[in-house]
Amino acid sequence: MKYFLIFFSIIILIISPFFGQIELTFSNIFDTSKMEYQIFWELRLPRTILAFFVGAILALSGLVFQTTFRNPMSSPFTLGVASGATLFTAIAIILGLSSFISFFAFLGSLATIIILFMIASRFHSSETSSLLLVGIALSFFYSASLMVLFFISNLEESYEIVRFTMGSLDIVGFKDLYLVVVAGLFILFIVKYFQNSIKLLFVSNQFAYLKGCNVKRTNYILLISVSIVVGICVSITGPIGFVGLIVPHIVKTITQKSADKLIGAIFFYGGVFLVFCDLVARNLGTNSDIPIGVVTSFLGAPFFIYLILKRKKQ
Amino acid sequence: MLKISNYNSDILHDISFTLENKNLIILGSNGAGKTTLAKVLSGVTKSSCVTIDDKNPATVYGEKRTRLINYIPPKLEMYDEFMSVAEFLKLNQLYSDISINEVLKLVNCGYIKDKKCKTLSSGEAQLLLLASAILHNAKYTIFDEPTSNLDPQKIKNTFQVLEDNTILQNKIIITHNLNLAYKLKYNILYIKDHKIVFYDTNEKFFDEQNLQFFFEDSVKKCDDNIVVNI
Repeated sequence: MKYFLIFFSIIILIISPFFGQIELTFSNIFDTSKMEYQIFWELRLPRTILAFFVGAILALSGLVFQTTFRNPMSSPFTLGVASGATLFTAIAIILGLSSFISFFAFLGSLATIIILFMIASRFHSSETSSLLLVGIALSFFYSASLMVLFFISNLEESYEIVRFTMGSLDIVGFKDLYLVVVAGLFILFIVKYFQNSIKLLFVSNQFAYLKGCNVKRTNYILLISVSIVVGICVSITGPIGFVGLIVPHIVKTITQKSADKLIGAIFFYGGVFLVFCDLVARNLGTNSDIPIGVVTSFLGAPFFIYLILKRKKQ
Repeated sequence: MLKISNYNSDILHDISFTLENKNLIILGSNGAGKTTLAKVLSGVTKSSCVTIDDKNPATVYGEKRTRLINYIPPKLEMYDEFMSVAEFLKLNQLYSDISINEVLKLVNCGYIKDKKCKTLSSGEAQLLLLASAILHNAKYTIFDEPTSNLDPQKIKNTFQVLEDNTILQNKIIITHNLNLAYKLKYNILYIKDHKIVFYDTNEKFFDEQNLQFFFEDSVKKCDDNIVVNI
């Protein structure tokens, strides 16, 4: 099963750049005189790499959220962090500060995490569902604020914001890509570095504390790192929901292992999942690509429910 | 030496005592503040009133704290669904030479090694916590009601582990099981109405008159055992 999954994933990663509205053949992509050369190297390949790293970042961020907030329903999206980043990006668009979008998105996600953490520290550790409710309330607040922005913006800005909130992996060249790749490797490094502490936190905060872990500091570092990388992702691709929530659960349920051993796997399969969703989105035969967020939810939700039901039976 | 001086909070008033490399039993009625005291001593609840070998456990991290004190809650709290017993015990292996297999044998629970922690019964989970304390082997280990979920045989087994002073260093045991307290022969600290009202030897505490004073006619000595008189 394990080897089959890895094999299947690698196949998806390899074939992904070749399929789309214009089919590519392998022999033409090295011929600099053909248009296929440009499509492959300037569009498809960057897009696949972008999808992989964004998926990987979102999945790992989901794991960090589920650990630090001790709630299996936590993810950058269910707790409103991505909405915060989206709202701040929209503000940047309206203020005409398009070149500072990444910075604004980061501010949005960081502000949300600070709010969440301040509220969480007032709760008793068993009240994790209250935090989820706060996150949902925040999301609603942000979407209302976004509506206000629509209302006061002009047509051009509105259009830009709408396109942005739909989420898209469209990318040209490698410029934005570097940032995402660095962000991905950064969060992987941070989570790996704190692997032991994370394992202790999987038992309970009190347990981690008694085993010598500086729980507060660890949580702060993890959450701030996540807000940086989620902010970067959102600023480039817009909000892409559901990956962070489900990928950690799917990998855990399939492997039946404690998640500290699955950091690499969650990173990898998070990436593969988004590449696969993007492959589907580009190949449904319509005139334009379906927004990626639609596909992640369409494919992810039923599979997720299936896994939950299967686990209940066990 | 473990020392707490003038600790005050909503739940505990004027708490001061010292414990010089010895075992201790903490008794008291429900809600008297025993668990709160345990959390203060172990640094889980921060305060500036506690020192263990001149260090405050709430302000040091890593090995400096883990060597000093460990707190074992009455119930195993576990967030992760898939962590196995062996994995959990491995996290506790700090200052003891005993292996995971040996420690499970010691608590008579060898068969749970490959189970997931979440699937254990409450009794098995309690024995797992005892095993984890043995592997950690801090200078002071506080057990919060270590026998509350156990059947009589397992209580007896737990008693034997606690009685053996070669297995763990100093133990502080919070319990409602008076017979366990009596047979372990440790000094007794009794908390009543948020205050320490008794801190002296086991012998003095289990004196007939003293028992009458603290428990009225609800307990009695019978055949050199303390039993609940129903």
